Amino acid sequence: MFSFLKRKNQKNDRKIQEINNQNQSNNRPPNLIESSLSKNLEVIKQKTGNSSDIIIRPLKIGHNSQIKIAILYVKGMVDNQSVQDFVIDSIMNNQNLSEKLIPQEVLEILIEDVVAVGGIKVVSDWEKLLTALMSGETITLIDGISKGVCASTQGGQRRSVQESTTDVSIRGSKEAFNESIETNTAMVRRIINNTDLWVESINIGKITKTEVSIMYINGIAKNEIIEEVRKRLKGIDIDGILESGYIEQLIEDQTNTTFPTIYHSERPDTVAGNLLEGKIAIFVNGTPFVLLVPALFIDFFQSAEDYYERFDIATAIRFLRTVIFFISLVGPAIYIAATTFHQEMIPTELAIIIAAQRESVPFPAFIEALIMEITFEILREAGIRMPKAMGSTISIVGALVIGQAAIQAGIVSPAMVIVVSLTAIASFATPSYAVAISARLVRFIFMVSAATFGFYGIILVFIMLIVHLCSLRSFGVPYMSPLAPFIREEAGDTIFRRPIWAYKKRPRLISGQNRVSQGEDQKPQPPRTRIMKNTTNVEKGEPNES
Amino acid sequence: MEKAKISAYQLFILIVLFELGSALLVPIAIEAKQDAWLAILIGMVGGFCLYLVYHGLYSYYPDIPPTEYSQKIMGSFLGKILAFIYVLYFIYLSARVLRDFGEMLITSFYWDTPLFILNTLMALLVIYTVRKGIEVLARTSELLFVLIFLLGISVLFLIVVSGIIQISNLKPVLEEGIKPVLKTTFTQTLYFPFGEVIIFAMILPYLNRPEKVKQIGLLAIGFSGLILASVMAINVSVLDVNNITRSPFPLLSTIQTIEVAGFLERLDVYFILITVIGVFFKMCVFFYASVVGTANLFNVKESARLAFPLGLAILILSITIASNYSEHIKEGLHVITLYLHLPLQVIIPSLLLLIAFIKNKKKKSKHSKNLFPKRKYRLVERDKK
Repeated sequence: MFSFLKRKNQKNDRKIQEINNQNQSNNRPPNLIESSLSKNLEVIKQKTGNSSDIIIRPLKIGHNSQIKIAILYVKGMVDNQSVQDFVIDSIMNNQNLSEKLIPQEVLEILIEDVVAVGGIKVVSDWEKLLTALMSGETITLIDGISKGVCASTQGGQRRSVQESTTDVSIRGSKEAFNESIETNTAMVRRIINNTDLWVESINIGKITKTEVSIMYINGIAKNEIIEEVRKRLKGIDIDGILESGYIEQLIEDQTNTTFPTIYHSERPDTVAGNLLEGKIAIFVNGTPFVLLVPALFIDFFQSAEDYYERFDIATAIRFLRTVIFFISLVGPAIYIAATTFHQEMIPTELAIIIAAQRESVPFPAFIEALIMEITFEILREAGIRMPKAMGSTISIVGALVIGQAAIQAGIVSPAMVIVVSLTAIASFATPSYAVAISARLVRFIFMVSAATFGFYGIILVFIMLIVHLCSLRSFGVPYMSPLAPFIREEAGDTIFRRPIWAYKKRPRLISGQNRVSQGEDQKPQPPRTRIMKNTTNVEKGEPNES
Repeated sequence: MEKAKISAYQLFILIVLFELGSALLVPIAIEAKQDAWLAILIGMVGGFCLYLVYHGLYSYYPDIPPTEYSQKIMGSFLGKILAFIYVLYFIYLSARVLRDFGEMLITSFYWDTPLFILNTLMALLVIYTVRKGIEVLARTSELLFVLIFLLGISVLFLIVVSGIIQISNLKPVLEEGIKPVLKTTFTQTLYFPFGEVIIFAMILPYLNRPEKVKQIGLLAIGFSGLILASVMAINVSVLDVNNITRSPFPLLSTIQTIEVAGFLERLDVYFILITVIGVFFKMCVFFYASVVGTANLFNVKESARLAFPLGLAILILSITIASNYSEHIKEGLHVITLYLHLPLQVIIPSLLLLIAFIKNKKKKSKHSKNLFPKRKYRLVERDKK
């Protein structure tokens, strides 16, 4: 009994201690840099575990070389050229530094005169200094000064800007984001040259301290949504952020859904277009995928190219995509329902053909479809993971062995192979991989419901799907808008794509008060007569003159 | 009451889908024979009057549902009893709709499946939806309305193209005078489907623009009345009077008659689609009203919690209200109309309106004589500003 009490007390004590520790860590003055260079270097070596990739270059400057300084950087994280030319070289060859100086003067000369790098700052606490060092800045420490000079020399090897591999388009900019956040934000800035394009940065991840930036157009983006994004990002307390997918899963509105409520893109023009609508972009260092919030369901069926093509063509393509999505959802389910429950619906001749094909097949349609679907999913997964050199093996195995042989062996019917492959192609044709992959999952639910209740089952699941989609929200904006709730002036940019000159206003639920996006009468109004008056002199005897 | 708002357009669609719901399914106004469409149209006019009564009550109490204002009008005790009766009535009606629907599926498509299983699936879906709240239901209706609309247009197109419409089947108009038509109206079409709009009294308080309630409601009833009348006219002209009186589901028989280009035939799936969606909404609205009504009456804070138990009750009720389909239909056409629909849809609301009118007149005359009680909601709005 006593021991129990004791343990309890101990526990309480520990708790109090923990709280005290926390308080201490909160109230403790920032761990300041000391003035002795050797001590400082010792601290750095100890804190970094004497890591071999941290380069410490001691130098002596001043009259008779009596002032010791040290230059520190991380190998590979810095741009060697600029460290060499603008830091080390400048310091060693500067005339002013070889005079009689006190350490304070050295610091001033260093900042004002010597270090020829754009971004330079002076820090006095360890945490900032070390973060700067770890993110690729070059640190200069001076003996006798309790401050460090950080010069931004970030560089090193990064992937260059290349063509997008996931959002491919025929017309429009070819460049895609890469893994460097500075490059990515700059690429969007190159498209939107406006002071109202604002960027805010924070570091997320207790250990990785990944740089995350939110970008929006001030005056177009809704303040409440910006505030909400900030709040959710600040609430993240996690060890590491390795990709924007981490952020996506930590800030989405609803987690128990297969549908993505945050859009991601690899293309600067897509991001710029969405920013102009009032959306907010979230850049994460180390990934080319930029998040866009709030995302609507229809966003996942649109591609940047839709806006570059003329509206009639774009509308036709969007309509096709809707059909494609529908096929990828219910293709096999409808086949199963029709052959199992509603044979009377199939035209007689076709029904005879299907029945003849299925004569030798020992499985019910549902099992047959399941076999084919799962086989196909295996093939697809293998195709993604396999080394490129072996890619052709997959297609041979898939097409010949599984397709042809399965039919000849009488395990599946040819009609089923057609249905499954059509579904597979349809799911590849959906512009967004995120939605295509959800459709892949939901398709199996449809198949089960079709196998048990025929069309009744399909319709029930379909209604349930729509109810579910309607119940979703993305950063407070209903997921199915502007279709439901129906907003007439915006419905023109859903499965239709109205002409560019008809986009008079920005989306109401996404952008703030400032909604007018273009002037009146943007519709092209060419002169009535065929020959433009007052512009060029028409030569006599022009061939088309009648 | 959950904190939610629906728009005027959403209300319009909800009313239309609700009206079409099971009325497309079962033969309505078939006693009027080839004049069924006329009986429906007259029923629609009656529906306008009933809606005006419900709207009158709404304009006195724009922020609270009938289960609450009945207590304000009749006093706490009597009002609560009345509200309870109404909640039971809503529950019973949703069970009826579910039964109608299950029987249709069994008779036409799923001969070997037990009624209980078919009904359970539908009930589960409805419970799921109602738990999500009125806003989600309204948004769903917007999407599915487009689907129903497209289906309707294409069915109409196919019927016309296949050339099965024979206008002569609609003649002679008023063969036995106006009497049988009026009789059908007042024993049937007035209450089902038009009088059932009383359920929307539970939903009107959610509307974000109260000044539009009257216009939208009347428009929706008119629109759905016209659709029902024309569907019935098409049914009669395709099937002729003798067949239609024998057909349990006239629209299904009509759709089965379609044959275009040798391969577009037996389009039963169209019918399943239209009726499942229609019945789904009708049930959702009924069920939502019962859930919210119960929650309001018994002071349950989270009305979504009631969805499961009440849904179970409706499911069991739908199986047990009648031992077979003919009993179910007979109850629906002859017993219910007289003993449930007539008092609960017509007499009691009119009485309530009368009492509310007198009460408010007294109250208003005490305060100031200038305020016109019917415009109360506008004043409330102005106060808020």
